[in-house]
Amino acid sequence: MAHKRPNFFYHLHPPTLPEREARFGYTFGLGGISLLLFLVLGVTGVLEMFIYVPTLTDAAESVRQITYLAPFGWLLRNMHYWAGQMMVGVVILHMARVVLSGGYKGRRFNWLIGMALLALTLLLDFTGYVLRWDQDTAWALVTGTNLVNTIPGIGPALYRVLVGGQAVGQATLLRFYAWHVIGLALVAAVFSGWHSFRVRRDGGISHAEPAGGPTPRAGREELVRTESIAALLTLAALVGLSIFVNAPLGPAANLTVPVAEARAPWFFLWVQELLRSAPAFLAGVLVPLAVFTLLSVLPYVLDRRETGIGEWFNRPGRLAQGLFLAIVIAVSALTARGLLR
Amino acid sequence: MSARRNLILAAAAILLAAVLLAAWEHQVGQPPVKMIIPTLTNRPELCLTCHDGIEEISASHPVAAFGCTTCHGGDGMALDADLAHAGMHGGRNPADLAVVGVACGGANCHSGDPAAGRDHIQRVDRSIQATYAGAIAQVRHAFGAQPDLTAHMGVHAVQDDQVVSPDAVPSLTAFAPSATDPQPVQQFSVNCLNCHLWAQPAAKPYFYRSTGCATCHALYDNDGLYKGGDPTISHTEPGHASAHHLTTAVPYTQCDHCHNRGNYNLPHMAFVERTDLAPAPAAETEDATARRLAEYYQPIGQFTRCEWELDCVDCHTAREAMGDGDIYSSQADAQYIQCRTCHGTLTEPPKLAAITDPNDVALRQAQVNGHYILQVGDQVVVTDRGEKLGQVRWSGDHLVQTMKATGQTYSVPLVQGSACQQKPDEQASRYCHACHDHELQAP
Repeated sequence: MAHKRPNFFYHLHPPTLPEREARFGYTFGLGGISLLLFLVLGVTGVLEMFIYVPTLTDAAESVRQITYLAPFGWLLRNMHYWAGQMMVGVVILHMARVVLSGGYKGRRFNWLIGMALLALTLLLDFTGYVLRWDQDTAWALVTGTNLVNTIPGIGPALYRVLVGGQAVGQATLLRFYAWHVIGLALVAAVFSGWHSFRVRRDGGISHAEPAGGPTPRAGREELVRTESIAALLTLAALVGLSIFVNAPLGPAANLTVPVAEARAPWFFLWVQELLRSAPAFLAGVLVPLAVFTLLSVLPYVLDRRETGIGEWFNRPGRLAQGLFLAIVIAVSALTARGLLR
Repeated sequence: MSARRNLILAAAAILLAAVLLAAWEHQVGQPPVKMIIPTLTNRPELCLTCHDGIEEISASHPVAAFGCTTCHGGDGMALDADLAHAGMHGGRNPADLAVVGVACGGANCHSGDPAAGRDHIQRVDRSIQATYAGAIAQVRHAFGAQPDLTAHMGVHAVQDDQVVSPDAVPSLTAFAPSATDPQPVQQFSVNCLNCHLWAQPAAKPYFYRSTGCATCHALYDNDGLYKGGDPTISHTEPGHASAHHLTTAVPYTQCDHCHNRGNYNLPHMAFVERTDLAPAPAAETEDATARRLAEYYQPIGQFTRCEWELDCVDCHTAREAMGDGDIYSSQADAQYIQCRTCHGTLTEPPKLAAITDPNDVALRQAQVNGHYILQVGDQVVVTDRGEKLGQVRWSGDHLVQTMKATGQTYSVPLVQGSACQQKPDEQASRYCHACHDHELQAP
């Protein structure tokens, strides 16, 4: 009997994963759930592309065609919307788990890939938000792109590249569409693969090497079962939410009639709150970039010891954990203030 | 341990299956979508999914051509009521004067070329029914707030760049009484500014009506109830037109919703409603003629037979009711049809004019009305101001009047050759009323 080469599925579920860290109660499956949501977004997004028309005259109408006319279009759009929202939350929780349990120790580069994926997730969500093309999202786009104009030197040039002209219009919608469905999505897909590959290459889920004796290993069957439960529950939650709560949809965008206040999508509300009390360049560009940079260098600067892997609130990582939580609390507080307005 | 996990796995699978089944049920339970693609817009609309069975608004505005959003605005592709109705022109009534320019206006629609008589919106906006300038001028004059009877104010400011009539004024400012105005003028502004085309009607039987153009052209029953086929419009909540329908075949009952509802008590600056009307729905069951007499009759009025039997619009023309473009200071300046317009005088027959132009407004009016037929070559009565009364046609040996609301025909008797003893200098209608008085016997 010829030797059977292990297939890709086997490769992703190696028999070498430590039992303790493979438990659901350690990772909460957050990385896997993010990946699942990303796949759902890809599938539902491609299906939406069969109807969506990225033009000023037809965008809002085609969204309505998806929502009200196409069979199961409402489910498709709701799932795409809610998967997008859930993904932002799950990705941030995934980050929190990694920081708080020292998961990046010994594999800090993958943290940087993860940061890129966070940025891509937020940009994908924002570009998707724009494509809805109702009054709120179109004017949020105007506000958001105007921030680029505040960057000294390259700002105006960058703005023109971004919106495709002197002002938000047809070219902007087309560009944001292209970024959403290909530009960002493709990069995010490659980075997701790279991120997963790095996890596998770095020896599976991060774990401490036990002091003595062989590490108890998790069986492949056990891994698949855990993954399946997480995936099934995630999908059930997603579809359930999509049945009962419709994705928002407002009056079609009219670029000649400004709204009283364009509301940023919820994950950028904290920036909008900052903009209320600080100059646009500082609050809208510098602070978000500083937060992003700070998070990126966190494991390199504040948590350089290799001890405490897989250990919740490990002592060497306290400073990094504290800073991370402080940022999370500050951003959450600002977001809450924005939501309560 | 493993058995428990398998159980959780199975439960999760069942949960997902149940949720997917619920999604399926949700899709299957959706009412069938009814989509139209109006030929004028070529954009699909889903409004009829919910408003399934609503009446065609009029033969001139077929839904197959106009759809719903051309006039109503809103979001025709949304099936969520809030979203679908967001941005509608004037809520339920796109013909409200505040929005009519957007909803009904346009060069090819109702704010077009004045020469072709397509400037309805501009004319109505300056008409005495929309400005209420006459009443305001009268009251301000009577109580010393202005020295003359010329109108200076309307319920809204309006302007006329091309004054034609010597009686007309070029503009009106918005009437807003100041604290220094006499008390009755202030009271008037509080109590009496409720019967013009901008004003909301009183919400009670007989008074129910719409605003703007729909005040006259959307017929309301006395009980204010909708009797049509749209399942989303309440059939029990008063305050709706009887049908989703616009018409120029306007019966006297429609005019009655404002006119003939009572009298003004000037010393108290109050409106005194008629007390002799039966509750609206009961009257519907009575004999139509008796009901008509009861609803129209007012003890102080003198009425000729035509006023008993014809409808208001059979004599009063579009330009009287909707304005001729000028801003007048009183109803008397705007309203000019007299008995002699159709009946002539002892010395002169009524003036006739032939329809020669196939684009004549009178032809369009006849077509829109639908109850009378008019053709190029016909001879019709023409008024002092040049309006052709297409419904009063010369048959060859006598005048035939067709009622606009019912299509019933009358032979119009002429003064010339009759036993009438009118004096040549007494040609106003009030002199005719003195003899041709069909007032009911006092009960």
